[in-house]
Amino acid sequence: MTRPDATRDGLARVFAVPIVLALLTFVGLLAALFGGPGIYEWVSWVALTAPVLLIGFCVVRGRLG
Amino acid sequence: MPDAAPLNPPKAALKRWRLVHTWASLVCTVFMLVLCATGLPLIFRDEIDAALSARPHAAALPDTAPTKSVDAIVALGRARYPSRHVQFVFWDPSRPHLVGLGVGTEADSALENVERVFFDDRTGDVMGTAPAAGGLTSFLLDLHRNLCTGIVGDLFLGLMALAFLASLVSGIVVYTPLAQRMGFGIVRRARAARLYWLDLHNLVGTATLAWALVVGATGFMNTLEAPFFGLWSQTTTPALLEPYKGKPLPTKRSSIDAAVVAARAALPGMTPTSVGFPESRFGSPRHYLIWMHGSSVLTARLFTPVLVEAETGEVATARQFPWYLRALELSRPLHFGDYGGLPLKILWALLDVLAIVVLGSGAYLWVARLRAGAGRSPADELDPTTPAPVTRAAE
Repeated sequence: MTRPDATRDGLARVFAVPIVLALLTFVGLLAALFGGPGIYEWVSWVALTAPVLLIGFCVVRGRLG
Repeated sequence: MPDAAPLNPPKAALKRWRLVHTWASLVCTVFMLVLCATGLPLIFRDEIDAALSARPHAAALPDTAPTKSVDAIVALGRARYPSRHVQFVFWDPSRPHLVGLGVGTEADSALENVERVFFDDRTGDVMGTAPAAGGLTSFLLDLHRNLCTGIVGDLFLGLMALAFLASLVSGIVVYTPLAQRMGFGIVRRARAARLYWLDLHNLVGTATLAWALVVGATGFMNTLEAPFFGLWSQTTTPALLEPYKGKPLPTKRSSIDAAVVAARAALPGMTPTSVGFPESRFGSPRHYLIWMHGSSVLTARLFTPVLVEAETGEVATARQFPWYLRALELSRPLHFGDYGGLPLKILWALLDVLAIVVLGSGAYLWVARLRAGAGRSPADELDPTTPAPVTRAAE
């Protein structure tokens, strides 16, 4: 019953997007704090927009699908 | 159990994690909703304050106009308010040439009873005042920090923050088996309302998890402010005051400007933000307490206290805060989201609203499950192939 491939696929399926989002969030939170105004602020703004955009995308997809 | 793969915790363990998630969430949801609701306008605290009250401006004078010393400004303040006490001086880097005095009715008034009076440091005129406390944002902050109940509220909300963090972590565990079957981000619209809100709860919760963890953890850190400062004060103050044991309080006072110069020399590169006077409760009875901070985005929020002997004008100590107070200070910008300009504040507000969606949908799901009655297995609603429950809500 335990197929290693299925487990690994399952792992990726569950955690890939959340982990990427979490990393983007941490980068977004810290970039402006340690980098100050300028390019690092932009990094923060873009990185923290990602979760919001993804949620919007998934909700719209659910309405359409 | 044949399918006890790492992603599928055994049913008994999953049931325990579900209990943790349900109960940790139930305990803190109402209070978290209050915190999210009060936190939302507080993100824009500066903007609201500026809109609600006229901010004092310095006079329009050329840069070459001579400036008065801090001692002179303090003397002006004392002359203007002879029956009150000047307790501290402060500066705002965003408002140059404005020197603020904290004027209280008693020599050791509490901070909420100290009025701020702003002087122009060239003309010596009073450019404006700010009341001690009151105002919309002060009330919201009080409500947010401790539900207006002081230290008890601080500690209680600290416990709620811990429950919130437990809810987040257990939420990940509970979410895993369902996500394994369905993948990430599926929102089932055509099914019953309860499944839609479950999917939305999981989607929004997962996407905002890292932010919620940071804001929740830093919120918890902030509730430890009083105990941390108390601890630091207890460990450092006795050694500081030891040399003065038995000596009478100083009658002669050295120049404040000279004290600031000495503090700058002790911590080159840092700028002073305020000077607390010995007779106030914001420092030591024998020292000026000068708060210094750095110039970068990060170090501007990390303060170092410098104690300058009031009698001699010599620096008594200029040591950095210990690690736990540094961590506390670092947790402030990460909690408020006020360090990255207006766009960051807007994003923070969006994430706050999303957190409200997660909390609200969680409450709805629990109520809906209660209404559906006992006897339903919790696993049923996690299975995407389960037929819609009896309570099909009208859209």
